[in-house]
Amino acid sequence: MDRFERRPVGLVLLLAALVALIPFVNALARASTAPPDPGGNGTSLAASGEILEQAAVESAAVVPQPEQQDPCLHCHIVGENKGIWTPLARWSLFSSMGLLFVFGMYRSASVWKNRTPWVPLTKRAGEWVDERYEVSEPLTKILKKPVPKYALRWFYCLGGITAFLFVTQAITGIMLAFYYKPTPEAAFVSIQYIESQVRFGASIRMIHHWAANLMILMCTAHMLRVFIMGAYKKPRELNWVSGVLLLLLTLVFGFTGYLLPWDQRAFWATTVGSEIAGSIPVIGELALIFLRVGWDVSAQTLSRFYALHVIAVPIFTIVFMGAHFIMVRRQGIARPL
Amino acid sequence: MSESQPDHKDSIPFFPDHVSTEFKVVLGVLGVVLIFGILGLVAPLGLGDPADPLNTPLHVKPEWYFLALYQLLKYIPKTAGAVAPVIFVLVVAIWPFLDRKVETTKRNQRIRFIVVAVGMIALIAMTIWGEVS
Repeated sequence: MDRFERRPVGLVLLLAALVALIPFVNALARASTAPPDPGGNGTSLAASGEILEQAAVESAAVVPQPEQQDPCLHCHIVGENKGIWTPLARWSLFSSMGLLFVFGMYRSASVWKNRTPWVPLTKRAGEWVDERYEVSEPLTKILKKPVPKYALRWFYCLGGITAFLFVTQAITGIMLAFYYKPTPEAAFVSIQYIESQVRFGASIRMIHHWAANLMILMCTAHMLRVFIMGAYKKPRELNWVSGVLLLLLTLVFGFTGYLLPWDQRAFWATTVGSEIAGSIPVIGELALIFLRVGWDVSAQTLSRFYALHVIAVPIFTIVFMGAHFIMVRRQGIARPL
Repeated sequence: MSESQPDHKDSIPFFPDHVSTEFKVVLGVLGVVLIFGILGLVAPLGLGDPADPLNTPLHVKPEWYFLALYQLLKYIPKTAGAVAPVIFVLVVAIWPFLDRKVETTKRNQRIRFIVVAVGMIALIAMTIWGEVS
Protein backbone atom coordinates (compact mmCIF):
# COMPACT_ATOMS: atom_id res chain seq x y z
CA MET A 1 0.00 0.00 0.00
CA ASP A 2 3.03 2.22 0.38
CA ARG A 3 3.38 3.03 -3.25
CA PHE A 4 -0.17 4.31 -3.46
CA GLU A 5 0.23 6.77 -0.65
CA ARG A 6 1.52 9.67 -2.58
CA ARG A 7 -1.02 9.28 -5.34
CA PRO A 8 -4.62 10.41 -5.20
CA VAL A 9 -5.83 6.86 -5.72
CA GLY A 10 -8.18 7.10 -2.80
CA LEU A 11 -9.74 10.26 -4.14
CA VAL A 12 -10.14 8.76 -7.62
CA LEU A 13 -11.68 5.62 -6.17
CA LEU A 14 -14.01 7.68 -4.07
CA LEU A 15 -15.12 9.71 -7.09
CA ALA A 16 -15.58 6.53 -9.12
CA ALA A 17 -17.64 5.05 -6.34
CA LEU A 18 -19.74 8.20 -6.19
CA VAL A 19 -20.34 8.08 -9.91
CA ALA A 20 -21.24 4.42 -9.71
CA LEU A 21 -23.59 5.22 -6.89
CA ILE A 22 -25.60 7.73 -8.90
CA PRO A 23 -27.74 5.27 -10.92
CA PHE A 24 -28.26 3.12 -7.88
CA VAL A 25 -29.42 6.04 -5.76
CA ASN A 26 -31.52 7.27 -8.62
CA ALA A 27 -33.20 3.91 -9.02
CA LEU A 28 -33.77 3.66 -5.32
CA ALA A 29 -35.34 7.08 -5.29
CA ARG A 30 -37.70 6.09 -8.08
CA ALA A 31 -38.65 2.89 -6.32
CA SER A 32 -39.49 4.69 -3.08
CA THR A 33 -41.65 7.42 -4.64
CA ALA A 34 -43.25 6.22 -7.84
CA PRO A 35 -43.83 2.52 -7.90
CA PRO A 36 -43.90 1.41 -11.53
CA ASP A 37 -47.25 0.42 -12.93
CA PRO A 38 -47.43 -3.25 -13.75
CA GLY A 39 -47.85 -2.45 -17.43
CA GLY A 40 -44.23 -2.09 -18.24
CA ASN A 41 -41.41 0.07 -16.86
CA GLY A 42 -38.91 0.01 -13.99
CA THR A 43 -36.36 -1.98 -15.87
CA SER A 44 -33.36 -0.90 -13.80
CA LEU A 45 -34.84 -1.83 -10.51
CA ALA A 46 -33.86 -4.88 -8.60
CA ALA A 47 -37.22 -4.81 -6.95
CA SER A 48 -39.14 -4.28 -10.12
CA GLY A 49 -38.05 -7.65 -11.40
CA GLU A 50 -40.55 -9.33 -9.18
CA ILE A 51 -43.27 -6.87 -10.07
CA LEU A 52 -42.55 -7.38 -13.73
CA GLU A 53 -42.71 -11.12 -13.32
CA GLN A 54 -45.99 -10.77 -11.58
CA ALA A 55 -47.21 -8.51 -14.33
CA ALA A 56 -46.07 -11.01 -16.92
CA VAL A 57 -47.92 -13.73 -15.19
CA GLU A 58 -51.02 -11.62 -14.90
CA SER A 59 -51.05 -10.53 -18.54
CA ALA A 60 -48.52 -12.27 -20.70
CA ALA A 61 -49.79 -10.59 -23.85
CA VAL A 62 -48.83 -7.12 -22.66
CA VAL A 63 -45.58 -6.06 -24.28
CA PRO A 64 -43.42 -3.89 -22.00
CA GLN A 65 -43.80 -0.32 -23.27
CA PRO A 66 -40.81 2.05 -23.44
CA GLU A 67 -40.58 4.17 -20.37
CA GLN A 68 -42.73 7.28 -20.51
CA GLN A 69 -40.65 10.45 -20.44
CA ASP A 70 -41.71 12.95 -17.87
CA PRO A 71 -43.05 15.91 -19.88
CA CYS A 72 -42.30 18.37 -17.07
CA LEU A 73 -38.64 19.21 -17.76
CA HIS A 74 -38.56 21.79 -15.01
CA CYS A 75 -39.84 19.33 -12.39
CA HIS A 76 -37.28 16.87 -13.65
CA ILE A 77 -34.39 19.28 -13.23
CA VAL A 78 -35.51 20.43 -9.80
CA GLY A 79 -36.14 16.86 -8.75
CA GLU A 80 -39.61 17.71 -7.52
CA ASN A 81 -41.20 14.37 -8.16
CA LYS A 82 -38.19 12.29 -7.29
CA GLY A 83 -38.76 11.90 -3.58
CA ILE A 84 -36.07 12.52 -1.01
CA TRP A 85 -33.17 10.48 -2.39
CA THR A 86 -32.38 12.30 -5.61
CA PRO A 87 -32.06 15.75 -4.05
CA LEU A 88 -30.09 14.25 -1.22
CA ALA A 89 -27.66 12.57 -3.59
CA ARG A 90 -27.35 15.71 -5.64
CA TRP A 91 -26.73 17.86 -2.63
CA SER A 92 -24.12 15.51 -1.24
CA LEU A 93 -22.38 15.44 -4.62
CA PHE A 94 -22.46 19.20 -5.06
CA SER A 95 -21.42 19.91 -1.49
CA SER A 96 -18.48 17.54 -1.74
CA MET A 97 -17.45 19.38 -4.90
CA GLY A 98 -17.91 22.63 -3.04
CA LEU A 99 -15.72 21.39 -0.20
CA LEU A 100 -13.11 20.39 -2.76
CA PHE A 101 -13.31 23.89 -4.25
CA VAL A 102 -12.92 25.54 -0.85
CA PHE A 103 -9.96 23.34 -0.11
CA GLY A 104 -8.43 24.27 -3.45
CA MET A 105 -8.93 27.95 -2.74
CA TYR A 106 -7.27 27.54 0.64
CA ARG A 107 -4.31 25.76 -0.90
CA SER A 108 -4.06 28.36 -3.67
CA ALA A 109 -4.06 31.12 -1.10
CA SER A 110 -1.23 29.52 0.86
CA VAL A 111 0.76 28.92 -2.33
CA TRP A 112 0.10 32.52 -3.38
CA LYS A 113 1.36 33.79 0.01
CA ASN A 114 4.66 31.97 -0.42
CA ARG A 115 4.96 32.61 -4.15
CA THR A 116 8.02 33.65 -6.09
CA PRO A 117 7.49 36.81 -8.11
CA TRP A 118 5.14 35.98 -10.97
CA VAL A 119 6.52 36.22 -14.51
CA PRO A 120 3.88 36.38 -17.23
CA LEU A 121 3.91 33.52 -19.70
CA THR A 122 4.50 35.85 -22.64
CA LYS A 123 7.55 37.31 -20.94
CA ARG A 124 8.84 33.85 -20.08
CA ALA A 125 8.37 32.77 -23.71
CA GLY A 126 10.20 35.88 -24.85
CA GLU A 127 13.07 35.15 -22.49
CA TRP A 128 13.19 31.56 -23.70
CA VAL A 129 13.60 32.72 -27.30
CA ASP A 130 15.98 35.51 -26.41
CA GLU A 131 18.21 33.16 -24.41
CA ARG A 132 18.73 31.09 -27.55
CA TYR A 133 18.58 33.51 -30.48
CA GLU A 134 19.35 36.91 -28.93
CA VAL A 135 16.60 38.78 -30.73
CA SER A 136 15.71 41.30 -28.06
CA GLU A 137 18.44 43.81 -28.76
CA PRO A 138 17.95 44.18 -32.54
CA LEU A 139 14.19 44.06 -32.05
CA THR A 140 14.31 46.88 -29.52
CA LYS A 141 16.43 48.85 -31.94
CA ILE A 142 13.82 48.33 -34.66
CA LEU A 143 10.87 49.14 -32.42
CA LYS A 144 12.41 52.17 -30.75
CA LYS A 145 13.58 53.75 -33.98
CA PRO A 146 12.39 57.35 -33.87
CA VAL A 147 9.88 58.41 -36.49
CA PRO A 148 9.84 62.10 -37.37
CA LYS A 149 6.64 63.88 -36.44
CA TYR A 150 6.11 65.27 -39.93
CA ALA A 151 5.54 61.67 -41.05
CA LEU A 152 2.23 61.75 -39.23
CA ARG A 153 0.57 63.97 -41.84
CA TRP A 154 -2.20 62.15 -43.67
CA PHE A 155 -0.53 62.02 -47.07
CA TYR A 156 2.33 59.98 -45.63
CA CYS A 157 0.06 56.98 -45.06
CA LEU A 158 -0.79 56.32 -48.72
CA GLY A 159 2.07 53.85 -49.17
CA GLY A 160 1.13 52.01 -45.99
CA ILE A 161 -2.48 51.75 -47.16
CA THR A 162 -1.24 50.27 -50.44
CA ALA A 163 0.76 47.67 -48.51
CA PHE A 164 -2.23 46.81 -46.36
CA LEU A 165 -4.45 46.49 -49.42
CA PHE A 166 -1.86 44.14 -50.91
CA VAL A 167 -2.20 41.93 -47.84
CA THR A 168 -6.00 42.06 -48.22
CA GLN A 169 -5.63 41.05 -51.86
CA ALA A 170 -3.34 38.17 -50.92
CA ILE A 171 -5.78 36.80 -48.35
CA THR A 172 -8.94 37.19 -50.43
CA GLY A 173 -7.06 35.97 -53.50
CA ILE A 174 -6.04 32.76 -51.77
CA MET A 175 -9.66 32.31 -50.69
CA LEU A 176 -10.88 32.73 -54.27
CA ALA A 177 -8.17 30.42 -55.59
CA PHE A 178 -9.63 27.60 -53.49
CA TYR A 179 -12.68 27.59 -55.79
CA TYR A 180 -11.50 29.12 -59.06
CA LYS A 181 -10.73 26.89 -62.06
CA PRO A 182 -8.55 28.48 -64.77
CA THR A 183 -10.00 26.82 -67.88
CA PRO A 184 -12.40 28.39 -70.41
CA GLU A 185 -14.99 25.71 -69.72
CA ALA A 186 -14.89 26.00 -65.93
CA ALA A 187 -13.76 29.56 -65.12
CA PHE A 188 -17.10 31.29 -65.64
CA VAL A 189 -19.04 28.56 -63.86
CA SER A 190 -16.59 28.46 -60.95
CA ILE A 191 -17.06 32.18 -60.37
CA GLN A 192 -20.83 31.73 -60.54
CA TYR A 193 -20.35 29.02 -57.94
CA ILE A 194 -18.29 31.38 -55.75
CA GLU A 195 -20.96 34.07 -56.05
CA SER A 196 -23.95 31.89 -55.33
CA GLN A 197 -22.88 28.79 -53.40
CA VAL A 198 -19.75 29.54 -51.39
CA ARG A 199 -20.45 31.06 -48.02
CA PHE A 200 -19.42 34.75 -48.16
CA GLY A 201 -18.03 34.06 -51.63
CA ALA A 202 -19.75 37.12 -53.10
CA SER A 203 -18.28 39.22 -50.27
CA ILE A 204 -14.78 37.97 -50.84
CA ARG A 205 -15.00 38.52 -54.58
CA MET A 206 -16.37 42.02 -54.07
CA ILE A 207 -13.53 42.85 -51.67
CA HIS A 208 -10.94 41.45 -54.08
CA HIS A 209 -12.40 43.48 -56.95
CA TRP A 210 -12.71 46.83 -55.22
CA ALA A 211 -9.58 46.60 -53.09
CA ALA A 212 -7.69 45.99 -56.35
CA ASN A 213 -8.99 49.24 -57.83
CA LEU A 214 -8.34 51.04 -54.55
CA MET A 215 -4.80 49.66 -54.49
CA ILE A 216 -4.07 51.10 -57.93
CA LEU A 217 -5.46 54.48 -56.81
CA MET A 218 -3.49 54.48 -53.56
CA CYS A 219 -0.29 53.38 -55.29
CA THR A 220 -0.62 56.21 -57.82
CA ALA A 221 -1.47 58.72 -55.09
CA HIS A 222 1.59 57.63 -53.08
CA MET A 223 3.78 58.03 -56.14
CA LEU A 224 2.42 61.49 -56.91
CA ARG A 225 2.98 62.54 -53.30
CA VAL A 226 6.61 61.43 -53.47
CA PHE A 227 7.03 63.12 -56.84
CA ILE A 228 5.53 66.44 -55.78
CA MET A 229 7.54 66.61 -52.56
CA GLY A 230 10.76 65.66 -54.31
CA ALA A 231 11.32 62.74 -51.97
CA TYR A 232 12.88 60.70 -54.79
CA LYS A 233 16.08 62.72 -54.76
CA LYS A 234 19.46 61.54 -53.55
CA PRO A 235 19.87 59.21 -51.65
CA ARG A 236 16.48 57.66 -52.48
CA GLU A 237 16.79 57.08 -56.23
CA LEU A 238 16.58 53.30 -56.07
CA ASN A 239 13.56 53.49 -53.81
CA TRP A 240 11.79 55.48 -56.50
CA VAL A 241 12.79 52.93 -59.15
CA SER A 242 11.50 50.05 -57.05
CA GLY A 243 8.32 52.03 -56.46
CA VAL A 244 7.77 52.51 -60.19
CA LEU A 245 8.29 48.78 -60.68
CA LEU A 246 5.75 48.09 -57.93
CA LEU A 247 3.20 50.32 -59.66
CA LEU A 248 3.80 48.47 -62.93
CA LEU A 249 3.42 45.14 -61.12
CA THR A 250 0.15 46.38 -59.63
CA LEU A 251 -1.07 47.22 -63.12
CA VAL A 252 -0.02 43.77 -64.33
CA PHE A 253 -1.97 42.33 -61.40
CA GLY A 254 -5.01 44.25 -62.57
CA PHE A 255 -4.56 43.37 -66.22
CA THR A 256 -4.07 39.62 -65.63
CA GLY A 257 -6.79 39.45 -62.99
CA TYR A 258 -9.35 41.12 -65.23
CA LEU A 259 -9.36 38.17 -67.66
CA LEU A 260 -9.97 35.49 -65.05
CA PRO A 261 -13.81 35.73 -64.84
CA TRP A 262 -13.84 34.82 -68.55
CA ASP A 263 -16.95 36.77 -69.43
CA GLN A 264 -17.39 38.96 -72.52
CA ARG A 265 -16.08 42.11 -70.81
CA ALA A 266 -12.98 40.33 -69.52
CA PHE A 267 -12.28 38.62 -72.82
CA TRP A 268 -12.52 41.72 -74.96
CA ALA A 269 -10.74 43.97 -72.48
CA THR A 270 -7.81 41.58 -72.63
CA THR A 271 -8.06 41.47 -76.40
CA VAL A 272 -7.79 45.24 -76.78
CA GLY A 273 -5.31 45.52 -73.91
CA SER A 274 -2.90 43.12 -75.51
CA GLU A 275 -3.52 44.86 -78.83
CA ILE A 276 -2.09 48.04 -77.29
CA ALA A 277 0.99 46.08 -76.29
CA GLY A 278 1.09 44.58 -79.76
CA SER A 279 1.23 47.97 -81.45
CA ILE A 280 4.61 48.84 -79.92
CA PRO A 281 7.14 48.78 -82.77
CA VAL A 282 9.93 46.19 -82.83
CA ILE A 283 8.97 44.30 -79.67
CA GLY A 284 5.20 44.61 -79.97
CA GLU A 285 4.47 41.33 -81.72
CA LEU A 286 6.74 39.52 -79.32
CA ALA A 287 4.90 41.04 -76.37
CA LEU A 288 1.54 40.17 -77.92
CA ILE A 289 2.51 36.55 -78.53
CA PHE A 290 3.97 36.31 -75.05
CA LEU A 291 0.80 37.66 -73.49
CA ARG A 292 -1.69 35.69 -75.56
CA VAL A 293 0.44 32.56 -76.12
CA GLY A 294 -0.36 32.72 -79.82
CA TRP A 295 -2.29 35.15 -81.95
CA ASP A 296 -5.60 34.93 -80.13
CA VAL A 297 -6.83 35.07 -76.56
CA SER A 298 -7.43 31.39 -75.78
CA ALA A 299 -7.33 28.76 -73.07
CA GLN A 300 -3.55 29.15 -73.08
CA THR A 301 -3.90 32.86 -72.36
CA LEU A 302 -6.14 32.13 -69.42
CA SER A 303 -3.67 29.63 -67.96
CA ARG A 304 -0.81 32.04 -68.44
CA PHE A 305 -2.64 34.98 -66.92
CA TYR A 306 -3.66 32.84 -63.98
CA ALA A 307 -0.09 31.70 -63.34
CA LEU A 308 1.15 35.28 -63.66
CA HIS A 309 -1.60 36.57 -61.41
CA VAL A 310 -1.24 34.09 -58.57
CA ILE A 311 2.44 33.07 -58.68
CA ALA A 312 4.84 35.15 -60.73
CA VAL A 313 3.64 38.69 -60.07
CA PRO A 314 3.08 38.14 -56.33
CA ILE A 315 6.62 36.84 -55.90
CA PHE A 316 8.13 39.83 -57.70
CA THR A 317 5.84 42.19 -55.79
CA ILE A 318 6.83 40.76 -52.42
CA VAL A 319 10.52 40.95 -53.28
CA PHE A 320 10.31 44.56 -54.43
CA MET A 321 8.07 45.52 -51.53
CA GLY A 322 10.62 44.08 -49.11
CA ALA A 323 13.38 46.05 -50.78
CA HIS A 324 11.19 49.18 -50.78
CA PHE A 325 10.49 48.90 -47.05
CA ILE A 326 14.07 48.10 -46.08
CA MET A 327 15.29 51.13 -47.99
CA VAL A 328 12.71 53.34 -46.28
CA ARG A 329 13.82 52.03 -42.89
CA ARG A 330 17.50 52.56 -43.63
CA GLN A 331 17.13 56.08 -44.94
CA GLY A 332 14.18 57.34 -42.94
CA ILE A 333 11.35 59.37 -44.37
CA ALA A 334 12.45 62.31 -46.47
CA ARG A 335 12.29 65.63 -44.67
CA PRO A 336 9.92 68.06 -46.36
CA LEU A 337 11.22 71.48 -47.30
CA MET B 1 22.43 59.71 -41.96
CA SER B 2 21.70 62.57 -39.63
CA GLU B 3 18.31 62.80 -41.27
CA SER B 4 17.33 59.31 -40.19
CA GLN B 5 18.10 59.99 -36.54
CA PRO B 6 16.08 63.08 -35.67
CA ASP B 7 16.41 64.42 -32.17
CA HIS B 8 13.81 63.49 -29.63
CA LYS B 9 11.91 66.75 -29.72
CA ASP B 10 10.43 66.34 -33.20
CA SER B 11 10.16 62.57 -33.32
CA ILE B 12 8.13 59.78 -31.78
CA PRO B 13 9.21 56.18 -31.21
CA PHE B 14 8.22 53.72 -33.90
CA PHE B 15 6.66 51.46 -31.27
CA PRO B 16 4.12 51.98 -29.81
CA ASP B 17 3.35 55.55 -30.92
CA HIS B 18 3.79 55.31 -34.65
CA VAL B 19 2.54 51.74 -34.86
CA SER B 20 -0.66 52.70 -33.05
CA THR B 21 -1.24 55.53 -35.52
CA GLU B 22 -0.69 53.14 -38.40
CA PHE B 23 -3.03 50.70 -36.71
CA LYS B 24 -5.79 53.28 -36.72
CA VAL B 25 -5.27 53.84 -40.43
CA VAL B 26 -5.37 50.09 -40.98
CA LEU B 27 -8.64 49.91 -39.03
CA GLY B 28 -10.07 52.60 -41.24
CA VAL B 29 -9.11 50.75 -44.41
CA LEU B 30 -10.43 47.56 -42.88
CA GLY B 31 -13.74 49.34 -42.37
CA VAL B 32 -13.82 50.26 -46.06
CA VAL B 33 -12.98 46.66 -46.97
CA LEU B 34 -15.78 45.41 -44.72
CA ILE B 35 -18.19 47.78 -46.46
CA PHE B 36 -17.11 46.20 -49.76
CA GLY B 37 -17.81 42.80 -48.24
CA ILE B 38 -21.28 43.78 -47.02
CA LEU B 39 -22.02 45.31 -50.41
CA GLY B 40 -21.02 41.99 -51.95
CA LEU B 41 -23.60 40.24 -49.82
CA VAL B 42 -26.32 42.75 -50.68
CA ALA B 43 -25.57 43.09 -54.39
CA PRO B 44 -23.01 40.62 -55.74
CA LEU B 45 -20.60 41.79 -58.40
CA GLY B 46 -22.10 39.44 -60.96
CA LEU B 47 -20.82 38.33 -64.33
CA GLY B 48 -21.56 39.31 -67.91
CA ASP B 49 -22.22 36.84 -70.66
CA PRO B 50 -19.69 34.04 -70.97
CA ALA B 51 -16.74 34.87 -73.21
CA ASP B 52 -17.43 34.26 -76.87
CA PRO B 53 -14.49 34.84 -79.25
CA LEU B 54 -16.83 34.82 -82.25
CA ASN B 55 -19.10 37.57 -81.00
CA THR B 56 -17.58 41.03 -80.55
CA PRO B 57 -19.71 43.29 -78.36
CA LEU B 58 -20.51 46.83 -79.53
CA HIS B 59 -18.40 48.71 -76.98
CA VAL B 60 -15.11 47.05 -76.28
CA LYS B 61 -13.19 48.69 -73.47
CA PRO B 62 -10.09 47.86 -71.46
CA GLU B 63 -9.86 48.29 -67.67
CA TRP B 64 -10.39 51.82 -66.46
CA TYR B 65 -6.68 52.44 -65.81
CA PHE B 66 -5.86 51.71 -69.45
CA LEU B 67 -8.90 53.57 -70.73
CA ALA B 68 -7.17 56.94 -71.15
CA LEU B 69 -4.40 55.31 -73.15
CA TYR B 70 -6.94 53.41 -75.23
CA GLN B 71 -8.82 56.61 -75.96
CA LEU B 72 -5.57 58.32 -76.93
CA LEU B 73 -4.74 55.50 -79.32
CA LYS B 74 -7.97 56.08 -81.21
CA TYR B 75 -6.91 59.57 -82.26
CA ILE B 76 -3.14 59.45 -82.76
CA PRO B 77 -1.07 57.13 -84.94
CA LYS B 78 -0.85 53.69 -83.41
CA THR B 79 2.94 53.42 -83.23
CA ALA B 80 3.32 56.84 -81.63
CA GLY B 81 0.51 56.07 -79.20
CA ALA B 82 2.15 52.83 -78.17
CA VAL B 83 5.70 54.17 -77.97
CA ALA B 84 4.79 57.28 -75.97
CA PRO B 85 3.66 55.45 -72.79
CA VAL B 86 6.69 53.16 -72.90
CA ILE B 87 9.01 56.15 -73.10
CA PHE B 88 6.97 57.93 -70.46
CA VAL B 89 7.31 55.02 -68.05
CA LEU B 90 11.03 54.74 -68.73
CA VAL B 91 11.55 58.46 -68.09
CA VAL B 92 9.49 58.24 -64.90
CA ALA B 93 11.52 55.23 -63.75
CA ILE B 94 14.87 56.98 -64.18
CA TRP B 95 13.56 60.42 -63.18
CA PRO B 96 15.68 60.70 -59.97
CA PHE B 97 18.79 60.34 -62.11
CA LEU B 98 17.63 63.15 -64.40
CA ASP B 99 16.50 65.59 -61.72
CA ARG B 100 19.46 65.68 -59.36
CA LYS B 101 19.50 69.26 -58.16
CA VAL B 102 19.31 69.67 -54.41
CA GLU B 103 16.34 71.83 -53.59
CA THR B 104 16.38 74.61 -51.06
CA THR B 105 13.10 76.39 -51.85
CA LYS B 106 9.57 75.22 -52.44
CA ARG B 107 9.47 76.66 -55.95
CA ASN B 108 10.15 73.40 -57.81
CA GLN B 109 7.75 71.63 -55.55
CA ARG B 110 4.99 73.98 -56.64
CA ILE B 111 5.91 73.55 -60.30
CA ARG B 112 5.76 69.79 -59.92
CA PHE B 113 2.41 70.09 -58.19
CA ILE B 114 1.00 72.08 -61.11
CA VAL B 115 2.45 69.58 -63.61
CA VAL B 116 0.88 66.70 -61.70
CA ALA B 117 -2.45 68.50 -61.37
CA VAL B 118 -2.63 69.28 -65.08
CA GLY B 119 -1.54 65.76 -65.99
CA MET B 120 -4.09 64.16 -63.68
CA ILE B 121 -6.90 66.37 -64.95
CA ALA B 122 -6.00 65.44 -68.53
CA LEU B 123 -5.84 61.76 -67.57
CA ILE B 124 -9.18 61.85 -65.78
CA ALA B 125 -10.76 63.74 -68.66
CA MET B 126 -9.47 61.15 -71.14
CA THR B 127 -10.74 58.33 -68.92
CA ILE B 128 -14.21 59.86 -68.64
CA TRP B 129 -14.26 60.50 -72.37
CA GLY B 130 -13.28 56.90 -72.97
CA GLU B 131 -15.96 55.72 -70.59
CA VAL B 132 -18.81 57.65 -72.22
CA SER B 133 -17.76 57.25 -75.83
